[in-house]
Formats: sequence, C-alpha cells, structure tokens
Amino acid sequence: MRRTLLILALVAAALLITTAAACGGGGSSSSPTPLDTSASHEPVTLTVWHPWTVKSEKEGFSTAVAGFEEKYPWITLDIVTFPNSDEFDQTLIKNINAGTPPDVAITFDASFVAKYAVDDLWQDLRPYMEASNFSMDEFAPAALSYTAYQGEQVALPVLTDAYGLYYNKDMFAKAGLSEPPKTMTELADYGKKLTVTNTDGSIDIAGFMPWPDFNQLGVSDLGGQWGGTYFGADGKAHLATDPAWSSALTWQRDLIDFYGTDNAKKFVATWVDKEWTPDQVFEAGHVAMIFDGEWRTKMIQNDGVKFDWATAPFPAADDKPDLYGMGRAGGTICGIPTGAKNGDAAWLLVQYMSTDTDFLVSLANMLGNVPTTAAAANSPDFVPPPNFQTFIDVWDNPNSSWQPPIVPTGRGYNDYFATFDVKWINHQTDDLQGGLQEVDTQIDNEISMGQAP
Amino acid sequence: MSAGGPAATAEAVAPVSRIPRRSPAERRRARRRSAVRKYAVVLLLLAPWIIGFVAFTLGPMILSAYWSFCHYDMVGTPKWIGLNNFKFMFGLGHIPGMAPGAQDPYYWLSVRNTLWIIVFGVPLRILFGMLTAMLLTRPKRGVNAYRTLFYMPSMVARVATALVFVYLLNPATGPINRIIEALGFNAPLWFFDPQWAKPALLIMGLWGIGDAIVIYLAGLLNVPRDLYEAIAIEGANAWQRFRHVTLPLITPVIFFTLIMGIIDGFQYFDQAYVAGNVASGQSMELGRPEGSLLFYGLWLYTKAFRSFQLGYASAMAWVLFIATMACTVVLMLTSRRWVYYGGRMQ
Repeated sequence: MRRTLLILALVAAALLITTAAACGGGGSSSSPTPLDTSASHEPVTLTVWHPWTVKSEKEGFSTAVAGFEEKYPWITLDIVTFPNSDEFDQTLIKNINAGTPPDVAITFDASFVAKYAVDDLWQDLRPYMEASNFSMDEFAPAALSYTAYQGEQVALPVLTDAYGLYYNKDMFAKAGLSEPPKTMTELADYGKKLTVTNTDGSIDIAGFMPWPDFNQLGVSDLGGQWGGTYFGADGKAHLATDPAWSSALTWQRDLIDFYGTDNAKKFVATWVDKEWTPDQVFEAGHVAMIFDGEWRTKMIQNDGVKFDWATAPFPAADDKPDLYGMGRAGGTICGIPTGAKNGDAAWLLVQYMSTDTDFLVSLANMLGNVPTTAAAANSPDFVPPPNFQTFIDVWDNPNSSWQPPIVPTGRGYNDYFATFDVKWINHQTDDLQGGLQEVDTQIDNEISMGQAP
Repeated sequence: MSAGGPAATAEAVAPVSRIPRRSPAERRRARRRSAVRKYAVVLLLLAPWIIGFVAFTLGPMILSAYWSFCHYDMVGTPKWIGLNNFKFMFGLGHIPGMAPGAQDPYYWLSVRNTLWIIVFGVPLRILFGMLTAMLLTRPKRGVNAYRTLFYMPSMVARVATALVFVYLLNPATGPINRIIEALGFNAPLWFFDPQWAKPALLIMGLWGIGDAIVIYLAGLLNVPRDLYEAIAIEGANAWQRFRHVTLPLITPVIFFTLIMGIIDGFQYFDQAYVAGNVASGQSMELGRPEGSLLFYGLWLYTKAFRSFQLGYASAMAWVLFIATMACTVVLMLTSRRWVYYGGRMQ
C-alpha cells in the first residue's frame, strides 16, 4: 500500500513539474518561417482584443481591418471589445496568465511594454520580423522608445499620438505677436503677455497654464524640452543630478507664481473636467496656448471653433535650440500575447495593422491620429485635419520619444515625481535639490520593490 | 393482582422480544450512521455557502497571507522574500538592493489620513444620524415622507454622490462657493485645497447617512414611553430625559454604528478615489490634492494595480485587517462598561 502511495506521489510530482514547465515556457522555441500567403491554408480564426469603446471607433476599426480578411481569405477575425479601456491591460494580463490570451492584442497604454517584455507576456516579434524581412526602419525612431524594451521588440505601433503647442492666432494678433514661441523663455513671456484677468483678479484667459497634468502637460514633457532624462547609465534615477529638471521646475513655478497659486488652482478647477468636451479650455478661448495631442485638431474641426488657430512644436529650452521640433510621441500598439494559438497568422495581422497603408489611412482619417509610416502619411487618401503637419513632424523628429520612459514596474514611479512637483509649485518646499534627491530614492525603491529578487 | 397478570405481561413483551437484540457495538454504529446522515444533510444544505466562502473568502485570504511574504507582480510564481514587505512598510532593517532604512514614503501619510477620517467622520456620523433620527420622531404629519426623503441619499451610488459633490463644490463654478462668495465670505477651494479636501468628504458622507438614521430611528422608537413618563413625573428636563433615558437605551445602536463606522473608515476608498480623480483630471499626483486624500485603501490599490506590487499590497491588507480586528476587539471589551442591553450592561 505504502509503495503504491509513494509511486502515486512521484507520478503526481512529475506531472506538476511538467505542467509548471509547460505553463512557464511561453512561446515556441523554434523560429517561425515566413508564411506562404499564396498557398492554400486551413481556415484560421484569430481572436483580436482592442480597447476602443466608442461605437464609431469600434465600427471604424472593424471597417478598416476588413481589408485584412480580404487579403488573407482563410483568416477570420473574431474582434472582442470591452466596456472600459482603463482595465484593459489588467484583464489582458489575467487572461495571459490563465492561458486564455487572444491571438492579437491592441492596447492604448504603452507603459506596460517593459512588463510585457520582461515577464514574457507578449512574444518577442524579432523572429517573425527576421523571417519576413521586416524592419523597424518603417517607423520613426520614437517608435522604439515604447514598443521595445532592452532590445526585445514585443510590440509594433498602430498609428500614434504626438504632442505640440496649439495657439490662438487671433489672440496673438491682438497682442502684436505673429510667430509661436520657440524657446521656453518666449513661452513664459508670451504667456504673461496674453493673460487677461477679471476685475476681481481671477484669470479669464491664461496665456499658458503650466499646472501639472492640466490638459496633457506632464512634468516629463517640461523636462524633456531641456533634454532631461530620468535614469543615468547605472539605471538609477538621476533627477537631482540632471540639471534639466531643476531648470524645468523653476520655470514652471515662476510662471505659476505670476498667476498666483490660488488663482491658478481656481482656473484649473474651472476647466479640468471639460477636456473631452467642446468646452475644452482652448476651444472655449480661455487659454491662448496649450500643450495637447494631435487629436485636438480633429476635435476643433468637428466642434466648429470660430477663431483662427495654429499648431507648432512645443518650445525648447533657450540653451537647447537643437531640441526644437521634438516632443512626446507614442500611442496605440499591437502584439502577440504569449500562448496565442495562431502565431503565424497573428503576425500577419500585426504586420498588417502596423504597416498596411490603406488600413492606417482609414483609421487615421477616422481617429485623427498620426499615421506611423511615411507611406501612409504621404498617401493621397490621407485627409488630415487642419494644422496637422506639426504632429507628423514631431513624430518624425529623431529626438522625440515616449515620456516618461517605460520600466518593467509600470508607470507608478512617475507618480512620486508628479507629487513632488505639486508640492514644489505650491511652495510647500523651497529645497528643490533635496526634493529631487528624495524623489530619486523613491523611484529607485519603487523599482527595486517591483523587481523579482 | 389480576389473574392474567404475569402471563399477560409475558405475552405483551413477547412481540418485542422477537426483534433481534442489537449488541452495544451495533447500537453505537447505528447511532454513528444516524449522526453521519444528519451531518451530511446539514453539510449538503450548507454546501453552497461553504463553497462560496472557501473559494471567495478563505482561499483568497490564505493566498494573500502567503503573498504578503512574497514578491508577486501578478505574473508568474510568487517568490518568497520573508519579512521584506513589512520591513519596507515600516522602514525597519535592511532590504537587499535598497539603502538601509528604506521605507514606503507614503505609508504613514495614508495611515494618518485614514485615522483622520475615522476620528472626525465616525463621531459626526453618529451625532448627525442620532439628531436627525430624533427630529424625525417629532412630526405628527407626513412622517413617512420625511423619513423617505432623509433616507433617499443613501440609495444613491457613492460614485454618483462623489461626482455630484465635485460639481457642487467646484471652487470656481460650483453653486456652493457662489453662495458663500455672494454672502461676502472667502470660499474654500475644497477638493483643490489639502486643508479642505477631507472636510469636503465629510460633508459628502453626512449627506448620505440615511442608513444610520434608520437604525437610530428604530432604536429611539423602541425606548419604552413609560420611562419618559416616570422621569417626567420626577421633574426631569429635556436634557435629563435624553441623558438618563434615551442615551442609555440606544447605546447598543451607538455601539453598532461605531463598529461599522470604524470598519468603513479603515476601508475608505471610493469617495476619495472618485472625488480626487474627477476634481483633478488626469493628474498623476498621489492622493491629490497634495496627498490629503491618500487613504490606506487608495494607497493599497495603487501599489497593487498601478505598481504591480501585489505582495506588498497583500502585506498592507493584512496589517489593515489586524488593525481593524484589534480596534473591534478593544471596542467589544470596553462595551461592557457602557453598552446597556435592556436591564443589564453587556
């Protein structure tokens, strides 16, 4: 009896070990070979998850991707949508862990890419790319900053967002200004000149409001214009030792002091919840300049804004004129989750969604996003909204990148910096250097805590 | 004695004696079988609850207890790291890869904010619940309409309540500040000012105390009338009637709302999460404004689902569980001194 039990226990242990190995094994070890798309194939159904929630966007995606099924008639797409895009990546991770991933995933949030790479949640696409002679040169250099981590290419871009400066030309003309600011000093000067206050001292029109995370402006966008980086060569946070950050934060606080902190808070409180409505602060004519993404061009067009407006790259630091033209860039990505059942067919779709000109143009025309390939951006079928070229140029700029940089522990580390920034502009501390040192320690600890021992 | 006495008895006994007599062992087995059958039925009836409890409460609790000693990021296998999560929480000892004394920089802030909401929120809730319930015992007409009106806010989802209050308390466009300013006062910035953000949450919480009002109302209506009559004959005024009759007799209700309020306070989350997020757009600031709304539950959620530190979040959850249990036990023990259950102290 005991002997039988012992044998049973050994068999169970062996089963557990092999099952665990199979679960943790991830994708197949053999390199994929290029799929002969002219040969006949068994029918394949690809499950595709995407995070678009608005009805018109969901329909637009389905219409745009229909060309794929025509191109590869043996492949049928099973498109799965979700009611809430905020929980999309968490749901995706849970399903990958549970062994029930989709064949192809599309996500808005590139900050998960490093985690997808380090934890083998998404497959490295390099073997597929090599087999298909596919190169990342198809895209602008910024693409690498949010689709790959430590050389592992786990995603490809599907359109992108790019950020720049919107300015009200009517207000500029009234103030005797003709050109957009190119340096941060000019931005602050123009901002002060264009500000209009009410009789009670409150702000009616803010020239430029640099309040953290008001509209789209993050602290990383400011520091980026001074050439600031988060991490040193040793991988440790170095906000305190990179002078870009103290310059950026000093510039920011000076301009907020011009408005008065309470005044600025009231102004932000008035407009913060209207960002996605036609009453957005720029569209409503209550800021002369604002940092925003390319999609605003389409929103302004749709909302029928009456005043004359234009776009330009976000100004660069006075001593970094070579950085003018760069900005934050990055957006929707797609990839093949580990455990996907139809890897080869999934790669065909990933390749299609990231490079097929008709698909990209169709989606870009609908969403007002930046097409990620030169062929799509130059296609005669691409009908961009007014003043859109700025964002195509920002995307193409070699200094543009995704901000803040992606790390395997997610985006939580930047919250410490954002929190200190608010403390700083509220004059709760005047020790900028000490505060940044503290933030460096907090970021390093956050990353250490998030990494496996 | 009747003629047929012994014989009749023997005949009467005879049919019984035809049943084979069982040995004591057999009787024990039969009793055991019967008991097993009884327990099987009980277990069968309880099975849905037991399965639910094990799958959704006990199982996750055991798992989270294990994870609290692990590094676990939602992916792969949790890795045992001993007490490191707790060391980081309290800034004790050395954690490999970190400077000595490394500590979660926002842990104690989240504890302080949570204690604040408990210390101010729970007594206010008790006070307002009790006073409103006392007022609701007064009207002679339309009493049901009043009670319904006061209970209605409790039926509104917390998220919806938070959204409405963010609008009402908007410093620039909210109607409340317009009224305050029209009266010639400086209006607060509410959810944009760390001094006023938590009081704004308290105001929001007091609007929805219908559930507490209902409990107090039931307690007040259960106070025997004859006690009031007796104390009135002795010449007691309103305060004495309240102090010596009403208050002692509703102490069980106060005790219940106190315990529930403290447990809710430790788990305070949704109102702060929604109010903080809606008021500040997409700000990345922790516990906006300026950390004032960083409650324990919110910080735990951030660590688990934004930083993927599920092991650390589990450790935080267990500390919260132990603190809540400790408070509840202390209150239960002290309740013997002040909670009055109809004729005797508990």
